[in-house]
Amino acid sequence: MPRLRMVLFWCGVLLLIAPIAAVVCDMPRFGDHPLPYGDAINHDAPRDRHVSNTVSAVNFDYRGFDTLGEEFMLVCAVTGAVVLLRGSRGESVTAEPGTLPGRGLPGRSDAAVLISRLMGPFTLLFGFYVVLHATVTPGGGFQGGVVIASGLLLLFMGEGYRGWRRIMRTPWLDVCEGGGALLFALAGLAPMLTGSAFLQNILPYGKFRDMLSGGLMQIENAGVACAVMAGFSLVLLEFLEETREPEHDDT
Amino acid sequence: MTALVWIILLMTTATGAGVVFSREPRQQVLAIAANGLVLTLLFSVLQAPDVAFSELAVGTVALPLLFLVALTSIRTDRKDPP
Repeated sequence: MPRLRMVLFWCGVLLLIAPIAAVVCDMPRFGDHPLPYGDAINHDAPRDRHVSNTVSAVNFDYRGFDTLGEEFMLVCAVTGAVVLLRGSRGESVTAEPGTLPGRGLPGRSDAAVLISRLMGPFTLLFGFYVVLHATVTPGGGFQGGVVIASGLLLLFMGEGYRGWRRIMRTPWLDVCEGGGALLFALAGLAPMLTGSAFLQNILPYGKFRDMLSGGLMQIENAGVACAVMAGFSLVLLEFLEETREPEHDDT
Repeated sequence: MTALVWIILLMTTATGAGVVFSREPRQQVLAIAANGLVLTLLFSVLQAPDVAFSELAVGTVALPLLFLVALTSIRTDRKDPP
């Protein structure tokens, strides 16, 4: 069987090597950007939208509709995972994850606890910084949201399962997840009340390089940050819950 | 393309090959995390810090953790421990 696999592999190599070489030789030079779109955005976004992070300007303003679609993709994925996993295990939070009945859980080392307790708050703070400065410095709602979710995981490693579950209330995360996506959709619909187009940036743009610049982008960014933070936390939480085996008097 | 980019591209190749050639699932998870870390370095060097943030949090933290938890779940799901 392995021989047949190797024969197939070499047949594929012989067939594909010439086209691949042709494509590689024809690629633009490293660092080239032949398309004019990037230059146009770099030129327009600071002037038209008073935003210095042009990636956010593309995500939330020029191509905001695409981001709305991605937002709902994330919500659907998280909802699907939660619906599949949150089953009959009950709401109890006493049993530790990753244990087998009758086998103890080895404790965490002091070094792991210390590092997690030191880094957790700073990671959370950095996540909020990335979210708040979406229109000024690289980053934004998605990046900040995943950084915050990683910070919450560090709290799990620092405080253990029970301490972590005391912070991670599932209903709050559910609301945060759905509410974030709803906020984005409302930010799209609200301009229509004034007769503008869907997602048209009708709010004042603010000062260039100011934390609050960008107008409507700020609201969309907050929605994305909420949804991504809660979405990632929920998926990680539901996966961790899968390894728990609640005791009988516990459910 | 500077020497730094070349070095990190070589590291990307090495860690990527590490993911393919590690056979034990837990080793493979750590190999994926290492690959994510090198990709984070690559994106930072290529001046894409926002992509680097996403790669660091998703590729180095969330994805390996989900795999580890899934492996743990498989191991603890046996009704009678062997």
